[in-house]
Amino acid sequence: MDYKTLSQQLVKKCLDKGADAAEVYIQSGRHLSIDVRNGDIETVEESSSGGAGFRVFKKGRMAFSSCNDFSDKSLENAVKSAVQFARNTTSDKHNVLPQQKGKSEVEKIYDPGIQKVPMEKKIELAKKVEKLAMKDSRITKSAGSGYGEGEAEVFLANSHGLSKSYKSSSCSFGVSVVAEKGDQKSSGSEYCSRRFYEDLKDPQGIAEKAAQNAYGMLDPQMVKTQKAAVIFDPDVARAILGGILGAVNGERVLQGASFLQDKMGKKIASDLVTLIDDGLRPRGMASQPFDGEGVPTLKRTIMEKGVLKGFMYNTIVAHRAGVESTGNASRGGFRGVPGIGPHNFYMDTGEYTPEEIIEATPSGLLLKGVTGYGINPVNGHFSGGASGFWIENGKIAFPVKGLTIAGTAHQMLHAIDMVGNDLDLNRSFTSPTFRIKSMQIGGE
Amino acid sequence: MGIKDYFVEDIPRRKFLEMSFKGGIVLAATPALMSQLVSCKGQAPGTKMDVDKSLLNETIQKALQKGGEFADVYVENRITRSIKMEESKFKSAQFGISQGAGVRVISGDKTGYAYTDEITKEKLSRAAEVASYVAKEGKQIQPVSISKQERKSFVTVKTPLQGIADKKRLEVMKRANQVALDYDKRIKMATIDYYDEIRGRTIANSEGLLVSDELPLLFFIVQTLGVGKNTRHMSRKRLSRHSGFEMFDEVTPEEVAQGAARESIAMLDAQDAPAGMMDVIIENGWGGVLVHEAVGHPLEGDNIAKKIGAFTGKLGKKVASDVFTMIDDGTLTNKRGTTNFDDEGTQMKRNVLIKDGVLQKYMTDILSTKQLNMERTGNGRRQSFRNIPIPRMTNTFIAKGKEDPEDILASTKKGLYVQSLSGGSVNPITGMFNFTCREAYLIENGKKTTPVKGATLTGSCMDIISNTDAVGNDLDFGPGICGKSGQRAEVTAGQPTVRIRGINVGGSKARG
Repeated sequence: MDYKTLSQQLVKKCLDKGADAAEVYIQSGRHLSIDVRNGDIETVEESSSGGAGFRVFKKGRMAFSSCNDFSDKSLENAVKSAVQFARNTTSDKHNVLPQQKGKSEVEKIYDPGIQKVPMEKKIELAKKVEKLAMKDSRITKSAGSGYGEGEAEVFLANSHGLSKSYKSSSCSFGVSVVAEKGDQKSSGSEYCSRRFYEDLKDPQGIAEKAAQNAYGMLDPQMVKTQKAAVIFDPDVARAILGGILGAVNGERVLQGASFLQDKMGKKIASDLVTLIDDGLRPRGMASQPFDGEGVPTLKRTIMEKGVLKGFMYNTIVAHRAGVESTGNASRGGFRGVPGIGPHNFYMDTGEYTPEEIIEATPSGLLLKGVTGYGINPVNGHFSGGASGFWIENGKIAFPVKGLTIAGTAHQMLHAIDMVGNDLDLNRSFTSPTFRIKSMQIGGE
Repeated sequence: MGIKDYFVEDIPRRKFLEMSFKGGIVLAATPALMSQLVSCKGQAPGTKMDVDKSLLNETIQKALQKGGEFADVYVENRITRSIKMEESKFKSAQFGISQGAGVRVISGDKTGYAYTDEITKEKLSRAAEVASYVAKEGKQIQPVSISKQERKSFVTVKTPLQGIADKKRLEVMKRANQVALDYDKRIKMATIDYYDEIRGRTIANSEGLLVSDELPLLFFIVQTLGVGKNTRHMSRKRLSRHSGFEMFDEVTPEEVAQGAARESIAMLDAQDAPAGMMDVIIENGWGGVLVHEAVGHPLEGDNIAKKIGAFTGKLGKKVASDVFTMIDDGTLTNKRGTTNFDDEGTQMKRNVLIKDGVLQKYMTDILSTKQLNMERTGNGRRQSFRNIPIPRMTNTFIAKGKEDPEDILASTKKGLYVQSLSGGSVNPITGMFNFTCREAYLIENGKKTTPVKGATLTGSCMDIISNTDAVGNDLDFGPGICGKSGQRAEVTAGQPTVRIRGINVGGSKARG
């Protein structure tokens, strides 16, 4: 089916049925997932599907409908439902659609080769990473390994004449294993996701890291409740970045529900903290040529050397704030209206190796796992469960589990005093290793 | 793939927050297929499903052609409405229609699965063929021809959602919004989320089963933002049932809004929470998420069958204190976790999991039942036709105890009183869990005193259930969303007021 033409026709249909303005978002895709455990296939899932979402505006009122059936009758029904549903919402002069034509240049986000790799090779990859992870004698059980892939094509059209599309792909594999010792159980996992099949890492490294994550945490000790340095591993970067992301959401800022609402242009973190949102990075897992409503994406600095530089907007919220959209309309598929979200969001690199950061720490926590909601974007409070390694005299001394850490965004961001040089931009939401000089740690 | 944190939360969260769960593989290219939020479901309006019996029989035949000992077809259609009111405006109204069917083949320990959006002979046959991939070398069986079976219903409807005018939906939202804003001038914003759906299911399998039903679901969430001097608190209150619109007569939108607003204001005076091990009292109701995570997930049959779950090999053994009895009951009338049968067609049941501290039962789906050689408990659930069924909880709770909740508080000298939790997660293998408190108070000399800011509770599931030393007589429930293996399920969690001796609390203040 020619979805590009269909999306344009459907925009017209929305207008014919009484909408003043309309947007049609069509997505079609396929996915495959293979789970392996103990050297044998556990599940194989494969399917292709798609659907259409209709955003309509009538006298400034906005409504939405979606369906996953492309028959004329269903599409017509969905369009009618959206137009009818628009009677229920409140008229708002900010309810507008983007007019920006064109797309940003984003290279290498679709790999036509993934499909051509035979199924057997993908199963073999999942089996291999499990086998390698089980090699270590400290690993007693497999919790499963797997391979997954997906492809999608997006078609977007609106009544300002926008008509755009792009294709993307992703593939990934990983493994989870268990280490046991007496009554103790410890699990560890690792995975790798890429746009291109050929870019997937060697299974040996993935297997080793999964095994290490599991056995490394055996025989944990408790530490006293105290204030000490906390070194954040890149694996736990999101514990800090997630809350900042919520707080730079332009809508939350306008509503007075962000701890950063009155901090634009102000120093809110140490000089070492620079945050980037990049929608353009070639092969980036969260790169796309235009955002969830068709606005070309950008590479932006959100925080520069500790100074807050930018909030994130979609078209409606930008209109309300009196600024331009930043290309941050996020869309979780064809079934919902655009929200606000990041692309490849990361803390920029620093100068120290992770080893140097550990060596420079007389006593503290190397944080490898954190649970909970991260920084609360409304008030900046942070509290989480923590696990990792205790550092004594600049060396890793023993594993720790069941600790807590807490603080406020203000204290934590200002107290970042060392940033590592180990930034891995193959992840879409990450940071290098960094150290917070002092945090409250809860233990015995 | 592999281990993902199992989590439970009280409201659907935005995408960026979902990303904070480690270890999962997110296929960025197909978010629509892999990560559906609650607002992403749908069904054709008023189209009662009518799938041809012979088509279902043919599909099952086809699925087992290469081998395998079990096959099923799950056909679903959904119609959803979600409306958002924020800053006293109806900001968006979303209407969703979705339909599709999934075909599954089980061969030994292997599962093959495929789904289709189109319920046609050709597409179902293709799905059956893909699903049969895993059965290449499996043993063969002859499927039993399907015949319709009746199931007892635990969902009663007085005012069907199909007959409700949109005006009525807006009305309950307006009422909640008004009460929230009128509660106190420090309430600066209210967000009201209204969601309803009707989900039609038809399930047929190679054992000859054919069942179908239609389930209504309502979810109503009020969030309020309290703004004080240099502080803000966003709180929420939720109401959700498998029921008709009469839900709003039994619990009014005003009650929900008032609850949210009260918490927003109370927490403006919150001080930094203490850090370290302390005694914790958790108030009745949604606080049951703690055992949902810490005990419920580790009792699900899939990880037990893999011999990696924290409770593996502990059946019949004493795992908790004498006062601790835990139940999963999918038959509680109209609750959010209740259905007439699970998503594999198994009749819902009341399953006592732990009785007086002794482990009685695991929660199973058809696959883990086969692997563990145990009974089917009615816990095989799936998010939609796009997902395979896996063992899930329904309405899970600590059974009512004997103590007066006031006595429990009065007999606790020092500690933390948790009035509401946001949600939490557990590693089902190690049993390590964590929870985030939304409303909590210090306990000093048997009394609730200063409110304290969002603290984390963390520990191991085994410790929690052995250290529970007081269980109140005030059992209550709260609605939530449970996440496991990338699938979401509607659940309730419940408990009477309980006291747990010694949990690690994560606050930002050193203990005085």
